[in-house]
Amino acid sequence: MSAPVQPNGEPLVRLEGIHKWFGDNHVLRGIDLALEPGEVQVIVGPSGGGKSTLLRCVNMLEEPSAGRVWFEGNDITDIRVNLNDVRTRMGIVFQAFNLFPHMTAIHNITVALKKVLKIDAKEAHERAMEQLQHVGLEQKADAYPGQLSGGQQQRIAVARALAMRPRLMLFDEVTSALDPELVGEVLAVMRQLAEEGMTMMVVTHEMGFAREVGSWMIFVDGGVIAEHGRPREMFANPETERLRQFFSKVL
Amino acid sequence: MSDQRGEGTGTLVLGEGRADPGYLSTRRARAAYWFREQAPISLVVAIIGAVSLFLELVGSSILLAIGGLTPYESIVETWQSGTQKSLLWIALVMGIAAVIAGVATYRRMPTKAAREGAIAGAVLGIQTVVLAGIYIWFLGGDVEIFARNFVKFDVLSGFTGQFVNGAKNTLILALSAQVLGIALGLMLSLLALSKRSVTRAPARVYINFIRGTPLLWQLQFGFYGIVLGLQFNVSPYQVAILILGLNAGGYTAEIFRAGIQSIERSQLEAARSLGMSYFQSMRYAVIPQAVRRVIPPLMNEFVILIKDTSLVALLGLTLNERELMTVGRDIYAETFNATPFLATAAGYLIVTLPMIRFVTWLETKLRSGLVGVGA
Repeated sequence: MSAPVQPNGEPLVRLEGIHKWFGDNHVLRGIDLALEPGEVQVIVGPSGGGKSTLLRCVNMLEEPSAGRVWFEGNDITDIRVNLNDVRTRMGIVFQAFNLFPHMTAIHNITVALKKVLKIDAKEAHERAMEQLQHVGLEQKADAYPGQLSGGQQQRIAVARALAMRPRLMLFDEVTSALDPELVGEVLAVMRQLAEEGMTMMVVTHEMGFAREVGSWMIFVDGGVIAEHGRPREMFANPETERLRQFFSKVL
Repeated sequence: MSDQRGEGTGTLVLGEGRADPGYLSTRRARAAYWFREQAPISLVVAIIGAVSLFLELVGSSILLAIGGLTPYESIVETWQSGTQKSLLWIALVMGIAAVIAGVATYRRMPTKAAREGAIAGAVLGIQTVVLAGIYIWFLGGDVEIFARNFVKFDVLSGFTGQFVNGAKNTLILALSAQVLGIALGLMLSLLALSKRSVTRAPARVYINFIRGTPLLWQLQFGFYGIVLGLQFNVSPYQVAILILGLNAGGYTAEIFRAGIQSIERSQLEAARSLGMSYFQSMRYAVIPQAVRRVIPPLMNEFVILIKDTSLVALLGLTLNERELMTVGRDIYAETFNATPFLATAAGYLIVTLPMIRFVTWLETKLRSGLVGVGA
């Protein structure tokens, strides 16, 4: 990673008092969170608790109703900020993969390199092949998404996001739509990414992954951060009754 | 999968009486299989049904061909001949027999192919009965007057060139208008999908106006307004292409709008999250998928447009500009015989049928890149 060194202690991403309403539904009720470069933030909690909405507020796919999102020291909730530019440095992988079905795997990866980053075709191809190797799918470059398994599609989606060389990766329940035997291959890719020092925010139901890979963990319930800390400590000694109940259901 | 298919000697049997011939890869092997699996009664029903329809359609056509299509009196003679009548009645009786026998026995057939054979015989029989009924009703009228006015083919001689030219003009009008309509429609659909009401409003007004007024009115008002009113020096042909295109644009816009809305929102989000602008996301991710989905309705629109070019007949085209309908009408006026309208219909079919085949082919080709989207 060729990321410029952050000033000491300056977070790569910081959320400040994030609220989100969908109509009358108050989904996020004041979220404060900061993440330094190289850290992995795992986000757990019951469904409907606002985890995905929180993640989607980070790259502004959902605009926060109130509060600010700081990325690389800039307030990206400012209306004057060019979000297209910000998003090139902030990758996201979705639960449903969301590959473009009319493009081959390699084309899925190169399209944004060519059209957004304006990289020439040859270099874009090389970058894409590099990422395909990274996720172990270089032999599937010319396959259409419909010809791939769910696990392979999701790895292509990871490669597509990584090819932009982002500084922050967001993962939104990326293994929830996969058959159990395909979960491992996607988690392995994410684990490797964390070891390489990628800054990541990961919404997940994979508690083993959360415990081993997470630098920090937050438990989001009812639109607030109900508990936060180091994953191992939280698993060992959940402080709140709600987290204890949650663990008893998922572990 | 294809390597699992046998070459069709029928060694694979999936349970007594329920064998599925799907594993047979050649048409010939499937036919052989079908015959082998028939029960005597189902074979008889299928053959009677097929023969009844064959007698009726091909037999009657052969009789007409032997008697001759010109002069029209020979057609009348064939229609009124005893041979034609007995042929019809024989076909009718055979058809009824196939229906009764098929319906009575299909449930008791021992194999699936035999059951399908009996059902096919009965269905063919029904078709024979319906067509024979219509034919007998038709022959009960005054076929002499009918033939003199509607199938007097000798009046067409010498007009072939005009019909070919008419078909050419019909195609030019429809194609130019459709190209204009697609460009306009795509733009309008994007405006109509805007989240800003000030952008949506003009598109909605235009689309609703086009869809809410008759094309005939648009053509006439446009033509008289532009040429006679504003005194602009344009030909009716050019005005026709413009107005047909503006009209097609309104309908095409709605087709594109529905197509774009049918693409999951997550596709737009995926593109946006890669840093693409709204228009880049539309251009590379959403619209290519939408276009594949709207090919069938777009095709339908085009076939309607081909037929709508007939309304241009009202604008007063020069000899060389005439499309099929005008040609037919003018020859009718010249000969005082309605047979040219048959040639007009044939002309439209010659233009539209290959179009329909082509788009079906195109559709399968484009679909091939769109198999299952996971999740």
